[in-house]
Amino acid sequence: MRANMRFMRALMGLLGVCLVSIAADAQTSAGKPDFSGSWERHRAPPGDPTNPPAESPPPLKREFLEEWEERRQAAREADARGEPIATGYVMCLPDGVPSMMSGPFPVEILQGREQMNIAQEAYSQVRRIYFDKPQASLDDIELGFYGRSVATWEGDTLVVDTIGIKEYVRFRDVPHTKDMRIVERMHFVTPDVFWDEITIQDPAILERPWTVTLAYRRMPGYEIIEYVCEDNREYADEDGITRLRIGGTP
Amino acid sequence: MAKFVHAAAVLAGSTLIALSASAHHSFAIFDHSRTHTLKGKVLTFQWTNPHGYMEIELSEGPGDVDHYTVELTSINMLRRAGWKSSDVNPGDQVTAIVAPLLNGDPGGLLLELKIPDGRTLVPPVPGIASFKRTP
Repeated sequence: MRANMRFMRALMGLLGVCLVSIAADAQTSAGKPDFSGSWERHRAPPGDPTNPPAESPPPLKREFLEEWEERRQAAREADARGEPIATGYVMCLPDGVPSMMSGPFPVEILQGREQMNIAQEAYSQVRRIYFDKPQASLDDIELGFYGRSVATWEGDTLVVDTIGIKEYVRFRDVPHTKDMRIVERMHFVTPDVFWDEITIQDPAILERPWTVTLAYRRMPGYEIIEYVCEDNREYADEDGITRLRIGGTP
Repeated sequence: MAKFVHAAAVLAGSTLIALSASAHHSFAIFDHSRTHTLKGKVLTFQWTNPHGYMEIELSEGPGDVDHYTVELTSINMLRRAGWKSSDVNPGDQVTAIVAPLLNGDPGGLLLELKIPDGRTLVPPVPGIASFKRTP
């Protein structure tokens, strides 16, 4: 009888732990969609409704559009010569927000009650999104690669507001000011595909807000692999051209 | 040109660095119109990001070159494609097909690798079909 009582107490204890765990999960999602898991960029065959709208060029003001197009043309010509212009990647610099959302490596999302972290496998980038917190003033934060992100729910859509991106941390090489604001609307289009509608607002540079939508599909069971930019033998020469160092050992 | 130089260039001293490119990596330094077939002994196999590297002491290769540097994709991409760091070891006799550097230096991008256990490993190079194979 005493043994049975001990067994019952142990069982009740275990049940309690399970209930607490379930409750925590429920609180985590609070009835809202849960983006937790590993994801990769989603590109379905043409015509598939889970494909996001085609990307439009940035609506840059004329003076910025000309420079942007000239830079892109210069990059294409450099590639054609076999002398690609070195990018931040050669220096082991990460993408930052929002470029890190464009892949091409997987991302891992951990969604809790107060915070959601998105880790991009490439360069081990992490951005942190806070729920139910007011956005800061630009005067109160330092500019960085990931800025400061807060989020609220509009129905089942998570609306993420980001400010504080360094001016040379660019998406699609599009210039911006320190006042740039990024508003993302994340929502599921199927149980295993979500869209991230990224809208960039920067009236000093853009004629109107610019929206780029990226789609992600679930990678069941995938565990993010560490990524340390450890020893890139590619380097930028004195003219800013990508070269490969020959020979040597790590 | 100067107007394109961004303030970020100071990060690299006198080197001009364009941050946040539209793609993670350009393979434009490699020749897309021909390949080299290399045979030789592996000296080192560097399992690192953003690229893996292999140094090969050549017994057969282009011209009179006796040492070749081979670049691989990111090891995360290799891992997802089933590669392991233990697949290649110093001393292994291998046959590698590479897209050579356009500037003529003895280096290239790995497109295919035959290792001593008989397997032929293909790295997941994006757009690998765009590299024309030649004898």
